[in-house]
Amino acid sequence: MIETEDLRKEFRAGRAGIVRRRSGRAVTTAVDGLTLAIPPGRVTGLLGLNGAGKTTTIKIIATLLRQTSGTVRVDGLDPLRDPNAVRRRINLIAGGERMVYARMTGRENLWYFGQLYDVPRGVLRPRIDELLALVGLDAAADTVVERYSRGMAQRLSIARGLINDPAYLLLDEPTLGLDAPIARDLRRVVARLAREGKGVLLTSHYLAEVEELCRHVYVIGDGRHLTEGSPAELTARTGCHRRVRVTVAGHSAQVESAVAAFAGRLGARADVEVAENGDMTVSLSHPDEIAGPLTMAIVDAGGTLAGLEVAEPSLEDAILTLNDEAGLVTA
Amino acid sequence: MNDREPRENRREPREEHREPREALPHSALRPHEALLYGLRPPGDPGPAHERGHPVIRAPRRRQKRITAHEPTSPSAKTPSDGHATPSRSTTADGQAVHSERISAVAAARHMGRVFAAEALKQHRRVFGSKLVVFSMLIWPLMQLAATYYTVRPLAATPGIAERWPLAADPGRLLAFLATGTLGFAFFFSLVQSAWHFSFERVTGTLELLFLSPANRLAIVVANGFGALVQNVWLFTCFMVAMFTVLDVVHVAHPAMYAVVFLALLVPAVAWGAFLNSLLIFSRDSAFLYTLLDDPMWFAAGVRLPLFALPGWVRAAGSVLPLTGSLVVVRGALLDGRTLAGLAPDLLALGALSALLVLAAVVALRLGEATAQRTGRLKLF
Repeated sequence: MIETEDLRKEFRAGRAGIVRRRSGRAVTTAVDGLTLAIPPGRVTGLLGLNGAGKTTTIKIIATLLRQTSGTVRVDGLDPLRDPNAVRRRINLIAGGERMVYARMTGRENLWYFGQLYDVPRGVLRPRIDELLALVGLDAAADTVVERYSRGMAQRLSIARGLINDPAYLLLDEPTLGLDAPIARDLRRVVARLAREGKGVLLTSHYLAEVEELCRHVYVIGDGRHLTEGSPAELTARTGCHRRVRVTVAGHSAQVESAVAAFAGRLGARADVEVAENGDMTVSLSHPDEIAGPLTMAIVDAGGTLAGLEVAEPSLEDAILTLNDEAGLVTA
Repeated sequence: MNDREPRENRREPREEHREPREALPHSALRPHEALLYGLRPPGDPGPAHERGHPVIRAPRRRQKRITAHEPTSPSAKTPSDGHATPSRSTTADGQAVHSERISAVAAARHMGRVFAAEALKQHRRVFGSKLVVFSMLIWPLMQLAATYYTVRPLAATPGIAERWPLAADPGRLLAFLATGTLGFAFFFSLVQSAWHFSFERVTGTLELLFLSPANRLAIVVANGFGALVQNVWLFTCFMVAMFTVLDVVHVAHPAMYAVVFLALLVPAVAWGAFLNSLLIFSRDSAFLYTLLDDPMWFAAGVRLPLFALPGWVRAAGSVLPLTGSLVVVRGALLDGRTLAGLAPDLLALGALSALLVLAAVVALRLGEATAQRTGRLKLF
């Protein structure tokens, strides 16, 4: 289990120098009192707008940054005290292809990092083959990376992140810039790794991806913990609205006034549009299940239903609502 | 040195590195499993990426699978396959903490593997084109020729034989300059290597090095050593051949060849480790590359004897390990000095090398701590 408690990270702006004393520099708080738990066998999401502190948090866990205060434990190990033991248990995969050596082949890159992680010889070779196959690069294994497409380089970066068979995988925007089919395949791999017991911490701007993969999500803003829960819990908790869209055959003033009255009772606002063929489209948003009562009201007013669409609230709606409530802006 | 050659380093995939390719891993899957992973069932022709649609495939079923490890068991094998020995200790507040000790043998073996890895990386970086191999000979040879024909007219200077006897003998003068060029090739190849290393920050791989548990000093020493061996071997062979032909080498004992080799190698590697440690943590240290090119050539006594240089240049040169290396190399090869005769110089050189390694260790520790505090590893 990776656990952070009251994690705080401050950066000082500008540079310290002889003339400009450190104490006089402005302090930016990137992470402010975060308490997280990333258990094995689960994909845990970390969401927030740009500048929310997601990457800083991941880098603290990965030992690339040192927290200003608070604690991190990786299977009980303190990264400040046993950094190398922690490094053997984790790996980090970030979006973009700038994380492999362009003049080495895919196989050589994996071999190189396998050496740095001291993966035993007998294990390393089959593992390289396995990982190349995992990311679909077995046919391009002996091609230099500078000849790879962006997606191929990114997939190699994913294989690199698995070279030490980490117990915990930190994924920072791993599908950034990937084509949709490749991103979909990567999501399947991540889900499978979690099923096999790895703990995964995922940050992503693609909220549908988080919704699909994560069983638990932390939402942070300005480095602070805003809320947490499963994607379904978050959307329910933030009171995001379902959008109901009903198409009524022909225009009817009675239907229109019935809809207005229905919306008035709910304290909501109904939008009515009349199409060129005279059909009327009624749109109404509300957190509760209102599709049934609305259609009944329309039918009771003499309207004939020609279509019905109900859009469930998404995690994206929930995140936007949370950030609006917290008064946060994108960095 | 190869940077002085035009780089035509894009290589075709090299057939000799290819492993025998095994059957596609998803062939081991049942059809419904293949479909589950978004794959074509076994028997479906050809990998998708050959048609421009790469897919991530599920691995073949193996006995050894990528699995998470027992999360908190003190006896759990580490994910790095059991090189570490877990042990337990307790913090002041009574919380059990597992720490892992690495045996000295395992650490030494890991260091050897880091050396191998860095050697490969240097090789790929340097030998993009096979023509680069020749640049490693041509460039220092041209430097030697330019220096020789610049200094050679000194032989006609009246009284030069009394002031610098060696200058009056063309063969010995060439040997003097050749040893200087050889030493410079050793040390400057490490300046170049460190400069290249600083680009790891730009390519985004520097963070990956510090994400790994590899010993930081081993990385910088290995990087320098890998560059050194590959950069100077050809010129070194040429120099040995030239000295043999000119018959200008007079050593007191054959073992002095080993002393000469070590006097070049050890300080050069220490020098490389020191420079690497400086350049990877400071974005603004590229000026060192310029500072250590011509000034090192001049102040270390590569083409002129130290006594011919002004006092302030000698003072500046004394902090360069190349200066001490050349004193030992020339003393052993050209003047026939013995180990006892060179002992003070060797001691000074050894002390300077130790100081450089110590400075590298300190720079790495301070640099990593600063990077962890400021997050500057990713900045370039």
